[in-house]
Amino acid sequence: MPAEHRMDPTWLDVVAAELARSSAVALEASDELLAHFGDTGDATAQRAVDALVNQAAGTLSALSECLGDTSRELQGA
Amino acid sequence: MTATLVCGDHVSCSRVGGGMRREASRLRQHAQSLEDAVGELTVWKGPEAEAARPAIGASWDALRAAADVLDEAGGALQRYATDLAEGHELGRRAELRVHSAGLLLDGTRVVEPRGPSSAQEAERRCSQVPVVQARVDLATAHVGRARGRLARQMASLAQALARPPAAP
Repeated sequence: MPAEHRMDPTWLDVVAAELARSSAVALEASDELLAHFGDTGDATAQRAVDALVNQAAGTLSALSECLGDTSRELQGA
Repeated sequence: MTATLVCGDHVSCSRVGGGMRREASRLRQHAQSLEDAVGELTVWKGPEAEAARPAIGASWDALRAAADVLDEAGGALQRYATDLAEGHELGRRAELRVHSAGLLLDGTRVVEPRGPSSAQEAERRCSQVPVVQARVDLATAHVGRARGRLARQMASLAQALARPPAAP
């Protein structure tokens, strides 16, 4: 085995596990954002807040998927 | 007459803002843990490493970027909650002034009540309209500015969220 490939294989498991944990946290954050409602009392401000919350939840959900995929790839490496 | 001069629930805004900041903190902690774990992989070389390392790096960048946006958005909502609470108090006091002056609110406009009254009473009420209206305007302007600020901050943060993280 070439020298540059010599490494502790458990490190990959550590990174894969951390990726999986981050994936779970990102998904929880996404769900948490959508679970609550802040009443601003103004239609324009409310639309802006709701739009950001929905966008952030979508971004975190996509990120969770991406982190999960990378974790599974590492576990299979 | 309007039921409440200043609408909105500052408690729910504060709760949502606080929740955003807590989630931001958790995301940052995990981004840091991920960075630390990947830092241990410096000896990992080869095609698999070349393929995986950028994906992992992009993931922690994205985690940090999302955390930054959530933290800022949460802070903006908490500041708005404070402004809204002040607006409620200003509105409550303005409404008390309206009632104590024997006047009415039509939306945010202070008006004299219709119906029979003595000329002296009508004159007294009329003279009070400008000063009472100023109290109402103070409350509505206060929340109006806060709402404008919140809407602009949310729009700006939504744009930041849509942007891909800057290349290292």
